[in-house]
Amino acid sequence: MSVDIIFKIAAIGIITAVIGQVLKNSGKDDISTLATLAGVVIVLIMVINLIAELFDTIKTVFTF
Amino acid sequence: MDPIYRIIAVALVTCLATIILKPVRSDFAIMVSVVGGIIILFMLVRYVSGIFDVFMQIFSTTNLSSSLYKLVFKIIAVGYLIEFSASICSDTGNASLGDKVLLGGKIIILVMALPIITNILNIVTELLPK
Repeated sequence: MSVDIIFKIAAIGIITAVIGQVLKNSGKDDISTLATLAGVVIVLIMVINLIAELFDTIKTVFTF
Repeated sequence: MDPIYRIIAVALVTCLATIILKPVRSDFAIMVSVVGGIIILFMLVRYVSGIFDVFMQIFSTTNLSSSLYKLVFKIIAVGYLIEFSASICSDTGNASLGDKVLLGGKIIILVMALPIITNILNIVTELLPK
């Protein structure tokens, strides 16, 4: 568990925002919504994996 | 004294990342703060398990039934999780949801604590002179 995950998520966020803007300005609005959606989904999957890992460690530590 | 610096470092980094992300993408900002909380919890879990080992030795000397202190551990775990999720709820803005989660946690802890209370009452009634 280290800090790089935070940087990864922040980087994904900024990249999706930039890509969305670029695609929107170049006229491809539908693709830009898809791109931002993909970014959100990737980050959601990472967060959910982290939460699952947290709950597993809690279960082992508190001897459920 | 090293772990406290790591926790503070992670917290500060998370705050900065959230501030940077808020104008750009507000939903990512919330996710970054959730991940920062998870990382700090991971660091703390190691110490909590150390505390529990000491508790287990102490409890094993008393002749109390082992189920009691397992129950105490479960209650601490519930408190741990409830605080984590309630703070996320209030972080994302819906404080009322966080309060409801807190209320639910308290009720669940009370329900789990009932056997302990009945156990104590039995011990007390045995002590009273007949």
